[in-house]
Amino acid sequence: MNVAVFRSMAPVFPKMASPVRSACCVVLAAVVVVYAQRHSQQDSHVQYERVGADVTMKCGSMDWDAAVTWTANGTDIDESHLNGSYLILKNVGLSQSGQYFCYEGSSWHLKYQTNLRVGTPPKEPVLMCRSNNYPKGFYCSWHLPTPTYIPNFFNISVIHGTKDMVCEKDSPPKNRCHIKYLQLFSTVKYKVTLTVTNALGKNFTTLTFDEFAIVKPDPPESVVAKPVPNNPRRLEVSWQNPSSWPDPESFPLKFFLRYRPLILDQWQHVELSDGTSHTITDAYAGKEYIIQVAAKDSDIGTWSDWSVAVHATPWTEEPKHLTTEAQITETTSVSTSSFMAPPTTKICDKGAMVGSGAMAVCWTAGLVVAAYSVLFI
Amino acid sequence: MAAADSPSAALRRRDLCSRGIRLAGKMRADVVDLLDAYVEQQGLDASASVAAVEGVPLAAVERWDEQTGTQRLLENLAAYRAFRALLAQMLEEQREQLGEADAGLGRALAAVLLQVSAFAYHLEELLRLESRGIPGEEEDGPPPPPRLSRFEQKLRGLGVLRELAHWAVRSERQLAKPSPASGAAPGLAESP
Repeated sequence: MNVAVFRSMAPVFPKMASPVRSACCVVLAAVVVVYAQRHSQQDSHVQYERVGADVTMKCGSMDWDAAVTWTANGTDIDESHLNGSYLILKNVGLSQSGQYFCYEGSSWHLKYQTNLRVGTPPKEPVLMCRSNNYPKGFYCSWHLPTPTYIPNFFNISVIHGTKDMVCEKDSPPKNRCHIKYLQLFSTVKYKVTLTVTNALGKNFTTLTFDEFAIVKPDPPESVVAKPVPNNPRRLEVSWQNPSSWPDPESFPLKFFLRYRPLILDQWQHVELSDGTSHTITDAYAGKEYIIQVAAKDSDIGTWSDWSVAVHATPWTEEPKHLTTEAQITETTSVSTSSFMAPPTTKICDKGAMVGSGAMAVCWTAGLVVAAYSVLFI
Repeated sequence: MAAADSPSAALRRRDLCSRGIRLAGKMRADVVDLLDAYVEQQGLDASASVAAVEGVPLAAVERWDEQTGTQRLLENLAAYRAFRALLAQMLEEQREQLGEADAGLGRALAAVLLQVSAFAYHLEELLRLESRGIPGEEEDGPPPPPRLSRFEQKLRGLGVLRELAHWAVRSERQLAKPSPASGAAPGLAESP
């Protein structure tokens, strides 16, 4: 630390007068000496304790009846926590993690130092294995269901029959590793055991599975949905195989497409055994749709997650300019040519009409709608 | 017989491969259904591990895509001939033990046996197209099985059906995969 202090300070004094520089160096040296003296007789280490435990800290080699001062994260600890020179922490919580120092009473020599880390032993880890790049290999990933607040170490073993296999860890993230298949089409199961250890305990979990059972491709990519010109009820959807699937020729994928108008909750589904495109032919005219695609190997494994959703609206004709007075009085709800008012459309509700004058208005409106319909056939 | 590399032979090969792929796919689906029924009716645990049984061809293969087309065909043919004999034996044991009590399982076994026989024939046709001699059946037949207890017979049956299900996937994929350029035989399922 001494050298580092001097080196870090050097750029600060490049142009100072030499007597001032000398004085500063002397002061710094004094500081370093005091610091070294204070820490020369210390014990320093990390101490792990469980949440809820009672912790007793001794002030190094000091006698029980010695006068000492304890600090935690730079703050003096009240004497009520002391039993003689021992520091007693009852039912420790996470907030009590930190640096603890014990100083001799009169000299303020540092006699003991510890980094207290309060945490928990690990619970059973959650382990998942999956092959998204069949037939190349598979990966396993894991995590703890609840944090321990202290460092954990994971060890994974993969056994196929009697053979140990190497699981190569990813550097980030550290909680994943990859295994290459040495054999394919094997009926012998794989057994993966993950052990997690920390200073307070240990736990493990085991997965046993068949080669085919964990095959799950990534979702299809580049999903695109487009309207089909002059077809108000069609949408053309296309996508690509997930780029992580290495050999779609030998291991073809099949697909599941789902779509619905935004205004409805119910999906419609189509399963496609080959090809990477599909034309929806029963879309509601003028309604915006949400569309997703999933993939699965044609024989083995499970369906992928759904792809990123895409939105599309079927083609609609541009509204034509209305020039006649009758057309100007038409309602906006019939402004798109994809809507054809059927002859039986009720414009007038007889129950709401009062008097013969209202009936005349009703007939006029009906004639106008009929004329409009004829114009747009 | 047309030359192995003539256009008509290539077309015939392509046709046989395509049909073989479909046959293997259908066979696999039926074997999986049969496996489920077998496990249930024999009172077995579906997740039970079964040790490799002598005479049951293992589907597991290393460097599966590096075999030549002919090697694939020969291995597949040997396997399906073995399965044909094993399934026939299972059917016989089923009839002896359960009589008519389990006719459904018997019928399903018989149906799969038929598909296995058809697929073996299909493979022989492909080999003939390669102008390869068809190995005699006596070379490939399994050795006579030792006398097994009823429970051992059930476990062996489980092992047979599991391997057959995996073989069907392997066969389907190997028929679809072009063989390496260095292989002696032309690739399977190639465009003419």
